[in-house]
Amino acid sequence: MTTSQRWQRILIVLGCAVIAYAVLAPLTSLDGAQALNLPLLTDKLWFRLATITAMFVVMATAWNIIGGLTGYAAFGNVAFFGIGAYTTGMLIAKAKWPFLLALPLAPVAAAIFAVLVGLPLLRLRGHYFAVASLGVGVAVGELVQNLDYRGEPIFGGASGLFMPIFAVPNRDLYFFYLMLGAAGVSIAVTWAVIRSRFGYGLIAIRENEEAAAVIGVNTTAYKVAAFALAAALTGLAGGIFAQWNVFIDQENSFPIAYNVEMILMALLGGTGTVFGPAAGAVVLQLLIQFLSGSLPITLDLPFVPEDAMPVLAQVVLGVLLALVVIFAPRGVIDFFGGRSRLTIAYLRRSLRETSI
Amino acid sequence: MTPQLDLRNVTKRFGGVAAVDGVTFSIAKGEILGVIGPNGAGKTTLLNCISGVYRLDGGDIRWHGVSIAGLAPYRVARLGVGRTFQIVKPFGSMTVRENVAVGALFGSDSERPPLRAAFDRADSVLELVGLRMKADLPVSALTIPDRKRLEVARAVATRPKLLLLDEVMAGLNNVEIDDALEMVRAVHETGVTVVLIEHVMRVIVGVCERVIVLDLGRTLADGQPDVVLRDERVIQAYLGERYARRLRGG
Ligand SMILES: Nc1ncnc2c1ncn2[C@@H]1O[C@H](COP(=O)(O)OP(=O)(O)OP(=O)(O)O)[C@@H](O)[C@H]1O
Ligand SMILES: [Mg+2]
Repeated sequence: MTTSQRWQRILIVLGCAVIAYAVLAPLTSLDGAQALNLPLLTDKLWFRLATITAMFVVMATAWNIIGGLTGYAAFGNVAFFGIGAYTTGMLIAKAKWPFLLALPLAPVAAAIFAVLVGLPLLRLRGHYFAVASLGVGVAVGELVQNLDYRGEPIFGGASGLFMPIFAVPNRDLYFFYLMLGAAGVSIAVTWAVIRSRFGYGLIAIRENEEAAAVIGVNTTAYKVAAFALAAALTGLAGGIFAQWNVFIDQENSFPIAYNVEMILMALLGGTGTVFGPAAGAVVLQLLIQFLSGSLPITLDLPFVPEDAMPVLAQVVLGVLLALVVIFAPRGVIDFFGGRSRLTIAYLRRSLRETSI
Repeated sequence: MTPQLDLRNVTKRFGGVAAVDGVTFSIAKGEILGVIGPNGAGKTTLLNCISGVYRLDGGDIRWHGVSIAGLAPYRVARLGVGRTFQIVKPFGSMTVRENVAVGALFGSDSERPPLRAAFDRADSVLELVGLRMKADLPVSALTIPDRKRLEVARAVATRPKLLLLDEVMAGLNNVEIDDALEMVRAVHETGVTVVLIEHVMRVIVGVCERVIVLDLGRTLADGQPDVVLRDERVIQAYLGERYARRLRGG
């Protein structure tokens, strides 16, 4: 067994253990966990953290379909999240639909929107597409907040939308598993896509769009389909988020920062892979939560006063991300477990790949 | 009988300059046609017109009597027109085998195979072009001649009825050219019509039944190689007196 295979096996085992723990831990009660001396956080905090993490697994995995497989760096995917959230939100708050009936329309609405903007936008290449998609992402959020009809805000305006609380026993657990289900669906979809004619067509487009076209790939249709698929999954996460959070507004449904975060997660974990973006989402989300002080873990460092910790941590995060992008452009999974071994040559090759 | 491919007054301009200027000829099924001409004669542009990469500025292109002018490249490919690029365009992140399998997965509309069958087809095409031993290598590990072979293999895998090859032998040494010639013959023998754009005269003479000479976007001559290559205008425009003398001598 080669070193890389050993690494791969270790990563897979570790990954399974983490997933098993994450999935099963909520089933144990706080008391039970304490009795067993398991490092469980307080229940509420755990669920919030786990649900948000699963939400980012969906977004990073979905982004990977258009950004990683197809090679189109979409910078405005948060629009799909917001459209999903507002579709569910409007149907529940204004049309009084039940949540489970409203939820399936979230991915549908996001996908339709992706087809409409994708047709013109996906003609653009490289940076042009990235910038244009960012513009769309920002514009949709602004429109949702500011569209009025006869002086009344259509989508709740600046004061947002409130939904009735979804009545299920153990709501936290319910929404955690719902979001986890969405994450599972995203990963399964990616897995299936990569093994299909569709997936090979997307990768061909990424590698050389002109060559893909002359071997018979309908590049426009494939790109739009990939964009719509990413949108549908992201919209699904938004739809779940809306009812979970009960309140939505422009700020929590269209956060520009999500655009950057989901891309960083996919990059960190490895674009174009099935599990990479999910792994990146878990790692980066935990890091973000740690930095914002949400985790009940603290480090005591000499010479660093306690109140400087968040600043130091931000700096560490920034440097870490820069290093990943420069030296492991194919993500950490490739870095540790891929075909190549971790050598100076690997770093040099990576540096060449990311340099002009 | 309607020809397989029929070009009438095909014209393509860049700015004010006509890179292809009223070219007319047709190709019969099963033919192997050479296209030669000096640098900038419009050979690659003509190929781009046929495969739908460029829109025509004039004229018409018919496939079995039906106009294909203005069709998107993927539609032309689905009709059964395969092509290579003068500057090779491999799918860099894929292995040699995957590159060819993608060609087999898509390509001509006739019986698009499922994944496994596409990889099987890739293996047999790799055998045909002599890349079998390198199937699992990444593209980056291939030499220049092998990359050209891969370019041909991917196009062949699309099950073309007409294969357009753009200087697949440029930059190869004599031994490699012989190999490549063998490869083109092998593909032609499977029933594929071949258009061979080349600079290397030996290739044209060795394998083509008919040759077209382009110069400044126009057809200068069209006929059997030994006749065309003795044509005074062709010699002046392209071959040069020295080549003509050598041809007469040998
Ligand atoms: N995309 C383009 N834009 C502008 N001019 C072009 C373009 N492509 C080709 N040309 C011009 O059209 C003419 C024909 O070029 P083309 O590449 O078809 O020649 P060629 O016969 O393939 O030459 P070579 O033997 O060097 O490959 C040249 O003058 C070239 O500069
Ligand atoms: Mg050329």
